[in-house]
Amino acid sequence: MRNRLLSFLSPVALLVAWEALVRLKILDIRFFAAPSQVLGRLVAMAASGMLMDDVSISLQRIFLGFLLGALPAIALGMLMGLSSPVRALLAPIAAAIYPIPKIAILPMIIILFGLGETSKILTVALSVFFLVLLNTAAGVLAIDPKYFDIARNNGASRWQIYWTVAFPAALPSIMTGCQLGMGFALTVIVGTEFLGADRGIGYRIWTSYQVYDIETTYAGLVVTAVIGWLLTILLQEIEHWIIPWRAAGQVRTSSVHTSSQEQSSMKRYAGIWLKAVRPFSFTASVIPVVLGGAAAAYYGFFNPWLFLLTLVGSVAIHAGTNLANDYYDHMKGADGPDSLGPSKVIQQGELSPRAVLGGAILAFALGAAIGLYLVSVAGSFIFWLGVFSILAGFFYTASPAALAYIGLGEITVFIFMGPVIVLGTYYVQAQQVSWPVVLLSLPIGFLVAAILHANNLRDIEGDRAIGKRTLASILGRHSAVIEYAILLGGCYLFLALIIALGIAPLWTIIAFLTLPTAISLARRAASTVDTKILNGVLRRTAQLHTNFGLLMIAGFVIGLFVK
Amino acid sequence: MGCDWANEMIGMAPAAAQAASPKIAVQHLEFAYPGARGGTIMALAGLNLAVPDGQFCCIVGPSGCGKSTLLRLLAGLEQPTRGNIAVRHDNPALPVNSMVFQGDSTFPWLTVRENVAYGLAQRHVPAALRVARVATFLDMVGLRSFSDAYPGQLSGGMRQRVSLARALANDPEILLMDEPFASLDEQNRLLLQLELLRIWETERKTVVFVTHSIDEALLLGDRVLLMSARPGRLLLDELVAFPRPRDPYTLKREAAFGDMAYRIWELLRREVNRARDIEMQGVA
Repeated sequence: MRNRLLSFLSPVALLVAWEALVRLKILDIRFFAAPSQVLGRLVAMAASGMLMDDVSISLQRIFLGFLLGALPAIALGMLMGLSSPVRALLAPIAAAIYPIPKIAILPMIIILFGLGETSKILTVALSVFFLVLLNTAAGVLAIDPKYFDIARNNGASRWQIYWTVAFPAALPSIMTGCQLGMGFALTVIVGTEFLGADRGIGYRIWTSYQVYDIETTYAGLVVTAVIGWLLTILLQEIEHWIIPWRAAGQVRTSSVHTSSQEQSSMKRYAGIWLKAVRPFSFTASVIPVVLGGAAAAYYGFFNPWLFLLTLVGSVAIHAGTNLANDYYDHMKGADGPDSLGPSKVIQQGELSPRAVLGGAILAFALGAAIGLYLVSVAGSFIFWLGVFSILAGFFYTASPAALAYIGLGEITVFIFMGPVIVLGTYYVQAQQVSWPVVLLSLPIGFLVAAILHANNLRDIEGDRAIGKRTLASILGRHSAVIEYAILLGGCYLFLALIIALGIAPLWTIIAFLTLPTAISLARRAASTVDTKILNGVLRRTAQLHTNFGLLMIAGFVIGLFVK
Repeated sequence: MGCDWANEMIGMAPAAAQAASPKIAVQHLEFAYPGARGGTIMALAGLNLAVPDGQFCCIVGPSGCGKSTLLRLLAGLEQPTRGNIAVRHDNPALPVNSMVFQGDSTFPWLTVRENVAYGLAQRHVPAALRVARVATFLDMVGLRSFSDAYPGQLSGGMRQRVSLARALANDPEILLMDEPFASLDEQNRLLLQLELLRIWETERKTVVFVTHSIDEALLLGDRVLLMSARPGRLLLDELVAFPRPRDPYTLKREAAFGDMAYRIWELLRREVNRARDIEMQGVA
């Protein structure tokens, strides 16, 4: 489990370090394109249709060459395995030709077949052929002779023995040969396209290198890696499909699903995940993003496409954080089955801890990809903001010295779910830092901190018992209640301030409509120790955050149209 | 295989020949195979045997005495070095023999159903008949609910039952069984022995059953043969006259059973020791 997280984090860390080194100008940008630039170039290539064109022609060459090489190799390999004269005849030739790098045969093939498609496909076919041939022959030779006896005793003819015993028994080896061959096919096609091609991914890498278009060169490498990865997955899927007995080997009982059962269980599964990501909490990230966007629009910058990406990216990261939180709280034992807080999918056995962690990684990966693209558009500032957000997210619960466990939860949430998101969204639109925007983000920052504080106030006893030191459990209930009131009060104080300073349009004053709710919440929190009632306070604080944020956004939008 | 050998005996009408001639006739059988150091190893030397139609014939002997080789010769999987094997094939529509091999002998790449149907499919038995026979024998060995499982999903005992069902589904004239229950636990072995007895008592097929267990031979067989250490010859050939249907626990309480088992064991023990000596010489 830990290893899985590490194997996800190591490439991310590499990318982040790489980006950082380029942005700090430690790596020379002429030789090392930053990951965000590469991604930006990829998006541009995809938009222009060039990427599709290159990939499809390369894939076409790979597939044709693969089939042309693999099919005869399987037939001949079977013969080699079954017949010792054929083996004696072919083995020395295969052994002699096999070690020659197939790319080295390319000149000969070009002499014979010219520079067209034929020579490229043949080169691929040749490199696939020997790998599949030798693996197939070895697979047939390794078959336990008892299977041939059984087949003969059951009346199988020679031909039937080939089909019902030799071929299926050798299939795992044949598949191994195909997998190796596919890897070679990709290597060879890229090399082949360096020379005398006018399209294709190898061609793109080579020509961009010749004109020092280093971003395209890197983009080509990334595409090659992704193609290789997808081909591997494709072959694994095919293997599952044609060698079902291998996949079935581990399971003891066979269960038969009808398609309708599967469909309804799919639906149920989707429902469980929807519950696991806790969509109702998304307002905490959606509100500041929309607020940042509204503020940017108010100040005259708005790109709907970038805004949408920002929104999706931040929701993905929020979902990932929720899942990671569930996972680590479960691992640390903070959330028992009777805990009121999290989605309980782990505690109730609806999802395994492993699945939850996997979901978190997937959500983070989506968020990271979008983030990388936004960096390529908006530059270094967004990158560094992103790096600090990731670190904060990681140290919030995952690390040994988790911020949430040493009383720093509220301040972290205040900074990152307030100013950082609002300013980040604004920066993506405007590509400039603006202190007024930081100020106008503070009210909802206070409220989001109040949500967390209400949570910790409710859990004060439980957290003390397991040694989770939140601000509430450190301060004690009396001071914690006062702090809750201060957080709510701060919100309205700063709203008044930004209106007075003219940072926000006067219309945002409508957010004061929520003030009575805030006052009643502060009173209610002070008057009870009942966790049920405090749970209600928590829920209504989150509601307050949403309502307040929506009203403030509405104020900006009205201000935009009624100046 | 010299199937018609018995029928061609001088001057006999086919019906009379059928009544008189054995189902399996083995004469002066020798089998040698190349040894590790260039010499030849004699597995069988001058073996004579006649098995009448419908007899359940058990062969006991020390490890490495050539019991399995004899079965493989009877199945036609090996050819004799010298001597003669004649197996009478009465119904050309049915296979003359089916073997239950020693150890796991299911095809891992076929489902349980496909494994049992394998022989039928190779002989192009019509699909409807094939399905019915497979279902019958899967029920018999209690694996109907595992029809679509692969052998890798089953326990060793279940796989052995699949092999047994495959041989029975072929409906052969002769069943050749090479220590079919050796790898099973005590309880499963007992259940399958009873099942085999039940099937045999209704179908009365000719069976040649190789085992290392004297008890098993006496429980199942009409006749017990004891083979010597290599090269294999017959040391003992006796009819097992206990009445059928047999029950293992009542049978074992009878004095006659104990006496017979003891007598065979005394002979077998000598051969086991001799077989060990031969192996030691092989090592030295």
